[in-house]
Amino acid sequence: MAEDSRGDPACGGMDGRQDPVPSSGGFSFPEYELPELNTHAFHVAAFGELWRGRLRGEGDLSLKEPPGDREVTDSGCEDAAAARDLGCSLETAAELRAVCGLDKLRCLEEGEDPEVIPENTDLVTLGIRKRLLKHREETLRIDRACRQETFAYEMESHAVGKKPENSADMIEEGELILSHKEHKPYQTMLVLGSQKLTELRDSICCVSDLQIGGEFSNTPDQAPENISKDLYKSAFFYFEGTFYNDKRYPECRDLSRTIIEWSESHDRGYGKFQTAKMEDFTFNDLYIKVGFPYLYCHQGDCEHVVVITDIRLVHHDDCLDKTLYPLIIKKHWLWTRKCFVCKMFTARWVTNNDSFAPQDPCFFCDVCFRMLHYDAEGNKLGEFLAYPYVDPGTFN
Amino acid sequence: MGAPSGLKDDCEALLSRFQEMDSVRFEDFTELWRSMKFGTIFCGRMRNLEKNTFTKEALTLAWRYFLPPYTFQIRVGALYLLYGLYNMQLCQPKQKIRVALKDWDEILKFQQDLINAQHFDAAYIFRKLRLDRAFHFTAMPKLLSYRMKKKMQRAEITEEFKDPNDRVLKLITSDVLEEMMNVHDHYQRMKHVISADKSNPEKSINLIKDDFFENIKNIVLEHQQWHKDRKKPPLKLKVKGGEEKSERNSQQSERCERAESLAKIKSKAFSVVVQASKSRRHRQVKVDFSDSESGQVQTKTTRKRRNKETLKPAGRKVSSRDRGDMQNIHMEDKSLSLSMPVVTEEDEENESFSETEFTAPKRRRKQRTKS
Repeated sequence: MAEDSRGDPACGGMDGRQDPVPSSGGFSFPEYELPELNTHAFHVAAFGELWRGRLRGEGDLSLKEPPGDREVTDSGCEDAAAARDLGCSLETAAELRAVCGLDKLRCLEEGEDPEVIPENTDLVTLGIRKRLLKHREETLRIDRACRQETFAYEMESHAVGKKPENSADMIEEGELILSHKEHKPYQTMLVLGSQKLTELRDSICCVSDLQIGGEFSNTPDQAPENISKDLYKSAFFYFEGTFYNDKRYPECRDLSRTIIEWSESHDRGYGKFQTAKMEDFTFNDLYIKVGFPYLYCHQGDCEHVVVITDIRLVHHDDCLDKTLYPLIIKKHWLWTRKCFVCKMFTARWVTNNDSFAPQDPCFFCDVCFRMLHYDAEGNKLGEFLAYPYVDPGTFN
Repeated sequence: MGAPSGLKDDCEALLSRFQEMDSVRFEDFTELWRSMKFGTIFCGRMRNLEKNTFTKEALTLAWRYFLPPYTFQIRVGALYLLYGLYNMQLCQPKQKIRVALKDWDEILKFQQDLINAQHFDAAYIFRKLRLDRAFHFTAMPKLLSYRMKKKMQRAEITEEFKDPNDRVLKLITSDVLEEMMNVHDHYQRMKHVISADKSNPEKSINLIKDDFFENIKNIVLEHQQWHKDRKKPPLKLKVKGGEEKSERNSQQSERCERAESLAKIKSKAFSVVVQASKSRRHRQVKVDFSDSESGQVQTKTTRKRRNKETLKPAGRKVSSRDRGDMQNIHMEDKSLSLSMPVVTEEDEENESFSETEFTAPKRRRKQRTKS
């Protein structure tokens, strides 16, 4: 078990790490392995250190509001700083401030609406956009954002710029943000470098976690409260040759053992796999390839492909509240299945071999289900099999 | 993005017009910017989501032109373009410019070059972007999600914006030349040491051409020259027709620009500090432009000097070599200074000497251009 071999982030190399880091030799400088597809494996914290080393003391990493935003700035002081940085005279600096001012870039007159495309423009982009707008005006009666668009935009920006109330929850300068994309259900999450893998595991919403096992046609009121998430707590992440198993609870089992035994039984051509405890590792400790697919498995056989799409330093415009991370920024909008009868409520029951139902399987909301299948006293009418149903769209 | 949004066409139009201006001044850029009304590229009732995506795409596109292998002028133009796009965008909060770790060192070097060459407006703008925290410091330039199915369009590099792909120069770099010089020097000294007569090495071990090294250097120089001449004439003709004042101004900046880029290329080849550009600029102003169309200072001086020096090529060659050797012995660590005009009298003479070797290759070149 390689649980004690945490790579030392400060040294920027791969010493002390037993897992089979691929041929790159463990450098922390992200470079393409397959062009445009993914990088070599590198150490996350060491990468962060490389950036921080280059930016130290330059104010790039600060999370306070930048001084340039405020209107009232001491121009003399600014010029002096500019002159010092560029190695020019104070007059030149003042001249530069005038020459490079934003007013030189303004193309619209005072009072001109930025929403209106100006006439006689040469820009190809505007030409295309004009045509598109015209087409929309002609074909659409009401031109507004649809639900999915609003939802997507909200997801992307709901947490932007949020500051925590409790300053202890503030993210530190130089923290890394990893962008984590999961397939089926499609969702993209931002997670901090200092967060543990278990925090990510807890925030992944998969509908299989909510399944309730068992047939309850005879006892509809006793559909248990226990969802699968509570019953089967094991899970693992697979990154770069190591299986990180969730071992927080005594019920958790090592799901990866099957795979490791299989790979070791014959010479299958895979390197030696390692196992480790998920709760012992943060993202900063990992060696990963950006853009490369890895695996998250839970519930025994529910597998999700996960890809780390991006790693970057935290910015003052990001959400700065630690407690909100892992933060979901993109989610697939799923249409929920509605009850067959009322077509209004989300389905909570699914039946098979149902004499009352026109199709097999058939979905019902709770009220319609009981009304159709049970009499006033609660006796079962007819023959059917009923299972509690959790719709994937529940998470919308 | 699915449908082409015309962004690439617009950016390239702006950058190529900036390239034609042959200037790196921000004022010239803003003139162009305002004349094209480029800031209105964000207009048109885009809803929030589309605004975000469009701005991100615009910044990514402009960023590509900021990195090598584009020419110096295009890169400065791209910097100005990024500044304009970043500040004129309508997204709130502003979309940031992504910069990957592997590109950052290159960018800092670029910033340093700008400061050294005293392009203060460009350096100021980059500094301002940094102060405004317009950058996201990332691992890779774009988000990677292992899309094997979508055919990734290889980003085409616009040829006109690129520096010519000089394989000769890549093969014979400054390091190689310095190495060659050292080896040659060492070899000569060894020959002297082991021969009986200390001043003259024995004839029997004269196995190489003594001036082999200088010939290579001159050929490489001349090749560079040819490259530039090949590229510059079409632009030069455009500049000629114009108002006198603007012509003078643009010629001035053009000269500066050309001098600067010439000096840069030379310095890259011979590891001489770019500061030579300052001295070059003064020199170039003095040179009479009315002589020929190409307006290359190097060729002018060579032609002038050549007329004086054609008399005794063979003898000159030997003396130049000796002088070169002596210099090399004195300045072991310093790079080659045989033909680089740093501002000392000694080197001026050296330039003239080395130009004599140009006679033979120059004739060859004339034949080439004629056919």
